Amino acid sequence: MGETKKILEVKNLRVSYHTYAGEVKSVRGVSFSLERGKALAIVGESGCGKSVTAKSVMGLIKGPQGEIKEGSEILYNGENILHYDKKQWQSYKGGECAIVFQDALASLNPTMRVGKQIMENLIAHKHMSKEEAKQEAINMLRLVGIPEPEKRVRQYPHEFSGGMRQRVMIAIAFACDPKLLICDEPTTALDVTIQGQILDIIRDLQKKSGTSVIMITHDLGVVANIAQDIAVMYSGMIVEKGKCEDIFYTPRHPYTWALIRSVPRLDLKNKQVLDTIPGTPPDLLNPPAGCPFCTRCKYCMQICREEMPEFTDFGNGHVAACWLHHEMAPKVEMPDLRGGHHQ
Amino acid sequence: MLTPDKFKVIGYTEEEANSICRPTISYWQDAWRRLRKNPVAMASLIILGLLVIMVIIGPNLRGYDYIAMNIPDKNQGASAKYWFGTDNMGRDLFSRIWVGARASLAIALVATMLKLVVGTLYGAAMAHFGGWVDDLLMRIIEVINSLPSLLVTILIMMVLGNNLFAMLVALSITAWCNTARQVRGMIKQLKESEYVYAAEVLGASPMRIILKHYVPNMISILILDASVAIPQFIFTEAGLSFLGIGLKTPAISLGVLISLGQQTMDFYPSQLFYPCVVLCVIVMAFNLLGDGLRNALDPRLRQ
Amino acid sequence: MGRYIVRRFLEMLLTLFLIATATFFLLEAVPGDPLSQRADKLPVQSREVMYKRYGLDKPVMERYLITMKNMAKGDFGESFVYAGQTVGGLIHDRLPVSARLGIQQMLLGVTVGLLLGILAAIKRGTIADYTVVAFSVLLISIPHLIFGLMLQKIFAGNLRWFPTIGWPSGDELWFGGWKYTVLPTLTGCFSYIATYARLLKTSMLDVVNQDYVLTAESKGLSRGRIIRKHILRNSFIPVMTQLPMSVAMCITGSFFIESIFAIPGIGQYYVTAVNNQDLSIVLGETVLLALLYIVVLFITDLLYVVVDPRISMPGRKK
Repeated sequence: MGETKKILEVKNLRVSYHTYAGEVKSVRGVSFSLERGKALAIVGESGCGKSVTAKSVMGLIKGPQGEIKEGSEILYNGENILHYDKKQWQSYKGGECAIVFQDALASLNPTMRVGKQIMENLIAHKHMSKEEAKQEAINMLRLVGIPEPEKRVRQYPHEFSGGMRQRVMIAIAFACDPKLLICDEPTTALDVTIQGQILDIIRDLQKKSGTSVIMITHDLGVVANIAQDIAVMYSGMIVEKGKCEDIFYTPRHPYTWALIRSVPRLDLKNKQVLDTIPGTPPDLLNPPAGCPFCTRCKYCMQICREEMPEFTDFGNGHVAACWLHHEMAPKVEMPDLRGGHHQ
Repeated sequence: MLTPDKFKVIGYTEEEANSICRPTISYWQDAWRRLRKNPVAMASLIILGLLVIMVIIGPNLRGYDYIAMNIPDKNQGASAKYWFGTDNMGRDLFSRIWVGARASLAIALVATMLKLVVGTLYGAAMAHFGGWVDDLLMRIIEVINSLPSLLVTILIMMVLGNNLFAMLVALSITAWCNTARQVRGMIKQLKESEYVYAAEVLGASPMRIILKHYVPNMISILILDASVAIPQFIFTEAGLSFLGIGLKTPAISLGVLISLGQQTMDFYPSQLFYPCVVLCVIVMAFNLLGDGLRNALDPRLRQ
Repeated sequence: MGRYIVRRFLEMLLTLFLIATATFFLLEAVPGDPLSQRADKLPVQSREVMYKRYGLDKPVMERYLITMKNMAKGDFGESFVYAGQTVGGLIHDRLPVSARLGIQQMLLGVTVGLLLGILAAIKRGTIADYTVVAFSVLLISIPHLIFGLMLQKIFAGNLRWFPTIGWPSGDELWFGGWKYTVLPTLTGCFSYIATYARLLKTSMLDVVNQDYVLTAESKGLSRGRIIRKHILRNSFIPVMTQLPMSVAMCITGSFFIESIFAIPGIGQYYVTAVNNQDLSIVLGETVLLALLYIVVLFITDLLYVVVDPRISMPGRKK
């Protein structure tokens, strides 16, 4: 296997869910890549398809409801994982790639001791004996900062607090030194103080083992802490992606503008009201023909409703899909990203 | 074609931003849509409809008396004259079966009504009063539930005798417990739910809260409860009559017919066969419809 | 734990006492008196002797107290209809018969039902799944009674593979004489198969959609291990609620099965006693069956704690 620079490359990923009401096109042609040892954040509001993207990369889209459409490619070290056989899948999942979910209580088996849930992983991928695996599980728990790990391995998930459970999830994910870690909103369900601790643990472990990370979140605060690259998703598509600094300081898409303006900031004056994005995202049962953001965009033009814009390249890997950057479009100034307005 | 006039900023409107393309449909419309998409449930519904029609007109369809004896024609097999044959007294089995099915269905439906009414009132009382009343009433349910329900039914039949009224009381006397528990649970949950609290704070009248929040939840619980109870009652009635503890001849029900059929089973199996088939079809149709209703009404099973 | 068990035990005694009392007074309300059939033909003097012998000359409350006292001592009464028959004796003679029938049908029915449930859940959406579902709906819609009659008619009456009625006794009471037990066992086990197959399938499909199964899948574990270690154990928790229901099914099912196949068990005797208005036997058997059922309810509660670590022993702390 040649060591390519890119550990993961997703090309034109399309995922649909078949429901009673019809086919929900959750992800509609997403492409991005991740460099070895780097962290990419996928940002967007609920229901924009970011979790489905994460599950696809992890190989967790299940039939008969879920379907990854023909023509999608997920290249891991240059190999399309969608063509993996059963054996390759087994060593990829958990061994090469691991995931941390949002809700740790729901994600841990309630009737299995915590230690055993970590050991499972070690026994499956590292072929350890039970005794070795147990020692390693204790080490892992200590590594993620759980006190008295010798006692804790024998407990059940409901005996842990929320933050501790998420630490357990991280211990499970890191147990087999994965090359790729997907964090699906790992801190959303936690208190703010715990959020920081969990992010620190992830970052430390990532540095130590050189793991590449995909961080799925709707919280831009989390992103700034951890990622080098950002992809902004809206309605099943990536509308803008680029380096962290570019996205934060010179965003090019009206949705990104709105997203950044809606982050609460300390420098906001007392009387200023936080900006919100009006309306709701489009229904993915019948996605609009044009730009999905057109129904909520201040700068919407006739063309936006009719055709999907192409990516415009701003250099340094920064691209945005918006008609405002077409040569015929009127020049629009980027609004003040600090957001807030007087009422 | 890209023309400059397509590049004029037009912005968005409030309605557009808030428009949700999927048409909003009410809980019941949605449930009905799910039910209609379920072919098995719809087939059961049609079969039940046919059965109800047969139960109403079936006994008179052939023009035979279902009680008067007609010895010369006894124990005949199925023929053009007697579609299901005759019994050991020469009575038309086809007519008798529909009379029996009428009784079985009527008993099951009335018993279900009784069960739902008593259970709802009892459950509502438990949830409403709470405290020691709730504890006491719950204890009573627990005591009743510490006996297999058929035993209680049999005891009541012994006391009240083998008649229709006794049957109704005996069937519903244990069955309401389940309804009461579910209704109590539902009301307690709603009472503590934030949206009902919000409605109260906003000054909605008690009547409105009951109509808007309690009744719809209650109806779906009761529908599901009934769909389980009806086939159960039909079973129990048939079983009791078979054991000689339920209705007795000359009263006719499917259970009575099956029990009569068993006596001649070795020589004229058809006299046992037809009532059994009708009983099974009724019960199966109710069961399948119940499954469909559960899928349609239970929010947990929705995808 | 110990305290909880003691408390539950006392509650059980109270429930049993309430049931016995309720049954006693309910049966008091049965029209006519239990001896009239036998005693009416006798001369007045022997009639009085007879009423005295069964204690029926005393007022209701006194008889109630005597009955309760006897029950507490383990004497559940004597038949009004067949002189000398006692409930204790009947239990001794007939309980093994019913117990064997019950155990056989439960073992067979629950095992097959659970296996079919697993099969249907794993092979979801395939022919195997649809077959199991159709099969269990069919079975659930056929009462014991019809099923028993059908089997009896076909396999005993027409094909003569098995005897029509009867049950092994003597040395073969617990083991052997299988040809007699095949049809009754089959009759009984079908409702278990249907119930458990449906229940386990629903429960497994519920668990399959839980997040922790996704976690297990993301670990790259084999499918077999995910099913065994993550899905099955959690699926069994709701299935366990059926245990008391199954025992109830076994008791009431025995009324029908034992009547159809003329099996000398307690179910058949109960039905006979009810039809003969043999009140003392009915009272005694009702209380004993209630006792059996209550013990099962208690065991179910204990099993919960064993299977689901989230439930701490009730009553320990609240």
